[in-house]
Amino acid sequence: MRDFLKECLVDENGFVELRYHDKEARSFFAEKDRIESSSVKRRTGIGVRVLEEGTWGFAATGSLSKESIKNAILSARKAAQVSSSLRQTKVKGLAQGKFAKGDFLGKGTQDFRKSTEEKLELILSIQKEAMKSSKQLKSVGCGYSEIFETKAIVSTDGADVSFEIYRPEFRVSATAEEGSQLESGNESIGVTGGWDCLFRDKSPNQISEIAVKTAIDLLGSDLPQGGLATVILSPSIVGLLVHEAIGHTVEADFVLAGSVARGKIGHRVGSDLVTLCDSGTSEFQEGAGGSIPVDDEGILTEKTTIIQDGILKNYLHNRETANFFGVPPTGSARSWEYSDIPLIRMRNTFLMPGNSSLQEMIESTKNGYFLDGAKNGQADATGEFMFAVQRAYRIENGKITKMLKGVSVSGLAFEVLGAVDMVSKEFKWDLGSGHCGKGQPAKVDAGGPYVRTKVLLGGA
Amino acid sequence: MNKNYIENKLSQELVLVQELIEKAKKAGISNVEVYGAYGHGEEVGLEKSDLNASQTLEETNFGVRVIESGSQGFVTTNNLPTLWESILEAKNLAKSQSTPDLDLVLPAPRFCGDPIDSYHPELDQIELSHLTNYAKELLDWRDKNPLISIDSGGLSLQKGYRFIASSQGVLQQEMSASISASVMGMAIEGDVVGSFDYDSGSGDTVLEFESEWNKAREEFALKCLRSLRAKPGKSFKGYVILPPDYVYSFFLGLFLSSLTGSNLRKGKSKMAGKLGSKVGSELLTIKDEPHLVGKAGSTTFDREGMPTEPLSVLDRGVLNCYFYNTYEAKKAGLKESNGCASGGSSSLPGMGAHQLQIVPGNSDKQEFYKLDRPALVMGRLSGTSQASSGDFSGVIKGGLFIENGLEIPIKEVQIVGNAFEALNQIVAISSQGEWLGRSSFVPYMLLDGFQITGN
Repeated sequence: MRDFLKECLVDENGFVELRYHDKEARSFFAEKDRIESSSVKRRTGIGVRVLEEGTWGFAATGSLSKESIKNAILSARKAAQVSSSLRQTKVKGLAQGKFAKGDFLGKGTQDFRKSTEEKLELILSIQKEAMKSSKQLKSVGCGYSEIFETKAIVSTDGADVSFEIYRPEFRVSATAEEGSQLESGNESIGVTGGWDCLFRDKSPNQISEIAVKTAIDLLGSDLPQGGLATVILSPSIVGLLVHEAIGHTVEADFVLAGSVARGKIGHRVGSDLVTLCDSGTSEFQEGAGGSIPVDDEGILTEKTTIIQDGILKNYLHNRETANFFGVPPTGSARSWEYSDIPLIRMRNTFLMPGNSSLQEMIESTKNGYFLDGAKNGQADATGEFMFAVQRAYRIENGKITKMLKGVSVSGLAFEVLGAVDMVSKEFKWDLGSGHCGKGQPAKVDAGGPYVRTKVLLGGA
Repeated sequence: MNKNYIENKLSQELVLVQELIEKAKKAGISNVEVYGAYGHGEEVGLEKSDLNASQTLEETNFGVRVIESGSQGFVTTNNLPTLWESILEAKNLAKSQSTPDLDLVLPAPRFCGDPIDSYHPELDQIELSHLTNYAKELLDWRDKNPLISIDSGGLSLQKGYRFIASSQGVLQQEMSASISASVMGMAIEGDVVGSFDYDSGSGDTVLEFESEWNKAREEFALKCLRSLRAKPGKSFKGYVILPPDYVYSFFLGLFLSSLTGSNLRKGKSKMAGKLGSKVGSELLTIKDEPHLVGKAGSTTFDREGMPTEPLSVLDRGVLNCYFYNTYEAKKAGLKESNGCASGGSSSLPGMGAHQLQIVPGNSDKQEFYKLDRPALVMGRLSGTSQASSGDFSGVIKGGLFIENGLEIPIKEVQIVGNAFEALNQIVAISSQGEWLGRSSFVPYMLLDGFQITGN
């Protein structure tokens, strides 16, 4: 494919980038003792990006013929020309980063080739088994999905790479009933790599047991008392916090639009215990879901230290913003499908582990909450965030006591980082099967150690 | 890319799809359905208060469903030359299953009436250069509002069609074209950064678009600027005022999801067995009106090619219907669906309403802002919800605190509630309202008894 794309670029002037993207997503779901859905989604095409007169033009075609690609280049050029005279700030150039060269093979692709029957049997058996575990269960759903994608990126200024990625996900949701009360529990895992990564920490049965137990335990739980509270955040919540509340504010396109991180390089934004990174590779543990060897501008991905010992050090860049800021690109340009323009996105975002143990953290907390399992979350330009928590427990006199339901937490990101007073040695990637949304989805992961801080708890 | 070209393309694709369906039948694949969706789009992007990339895209996406002896396989592709292979793959997916359900069938054709054509040929006069000019107008407008920062947005022209054809003889098609714009950003004053906000406008005609878009961008500015002055809110229990924009996202969306046949059958709905019962305030009446002339969600056929029909969802608080596709209708013991199969070419038929209308009440919305007790005017709820229990919670963005006639922008406040309880917490519905997305009429609502948590 690379040779074909390069052939299409012969005779082209200026910056032209061709990105071939073939994506196959398989998805299977079992509920009520039968296969509810079994699907395959394929989308293939070429995204064409040109930089002309300091302005971007983009076109996409689902046809892989040379003629279609040439037409798309023309369309992209025309699009750039139409808007160039009205663009106020021209793109002055693109930073020359470390271009990846050659073909990068994905890990775990042998599991993609496992038979459909084997995957269906897995989810059906887990779903049936789970339903037998309690009479309080109204429903259990078990899903398995996987994405296999191949990309080739070639540009007139040196990008020349192809790579493949395999991402399986497994998830269980359970609904339990008591009287007129219905509660649900969910547990999921998503990785970049094979099933050895997917089921490394928890087997399918253990994932199912967590979802079922959560749904049943929530039946007897109360809402928390609202207000400012001391909390111990599990790696899944820490991951959501650093992704949503910090990570987005340091994406350089967002910085230029005026995020709360603008102008704060070199400033203190967290306690000494806080060191935050974003990496294209899976640090500490294999399989982090957002791993990519190369970004969608053909740049090798690297580990970017965003906050070092509480001081903001770097933003995340594509080639355009890197040139603007006079720094190297960080390999953070990503697009979801061939028809999407690459945007600055996070990959695997994490807080570095500290020196405490989780046990010490719980024992030293007289009055607080232990929050585990991220449900969803959003953050604002102001750094204000809100996360929903799947499993929340009271901590009373150094011990975890009762479970609570409907717990959501909020705060201002940099204030919450500033209030961090304990960070654990333990580390985990734990964003489950989560995706990030920024106009287009992106598979990301996040995690870190257990962290003690203060947040605003929503409640009764 | 004009209407004639797109009509011809639709005809050619339909002929080819019907030929493939016949070929499938001859090959023993007797239950096959192809849903196609074609789009031609031109867009001018905005970023960092400036023009960003302009782009064009043209694509047809096909969703192929094959049912074999009660098992179903589904394949999507954007590659017409390999559509036959996709049919075979869908068949193999169906055959690989061991849990058949004979209620799973493709529906027989039913009369749907003439298709709604919302493709106005005047949009064929719009080109990328026109979109660029609209974008420039927006940036000029922003220059006059220097506190506003546009993070992202775009002007977009979309033309296309959707069709469905099946081996049972279902054949429906519909064309549409629209122009739309959106903007996301915030206000910034010195070191103070306001909350994110978003607004959009669209139209089937240029006049309609310009009217909607001008209104939307002013509303966007108002919301952004208001959040600059926001102060941490205080805790209280009491009134919540829901402007039309937030009625569905606050609680009605959760209620409506509980009305799908699938959630009812799986024991995930609190509305099971409640048909004919009073589940909400007598003030609340909701209808689904899929045939309104000139409205964006109007359609004569659903995701399965079955006729859509006006439905009474809630009549003065009494639940009158659930939403069914063909499979769930059969599971519920009904002869056929009520035209509520939802979705498109990239998904199996789901369930839902098409174009909901909330009947206006008798109250004046101005009175909601002059209450004897404190009230919270909802903004965007940045939070979480659970469909089965109806519980929701989150941070309120862009909200107002009303006390003694004063309107105070607030931040850092949370709300907790339950959608099913909220149906009975409605104390007034306004006679005034707004058309959301040129599709659903929604009035203002006043609810009581909510716990607001401040810092």
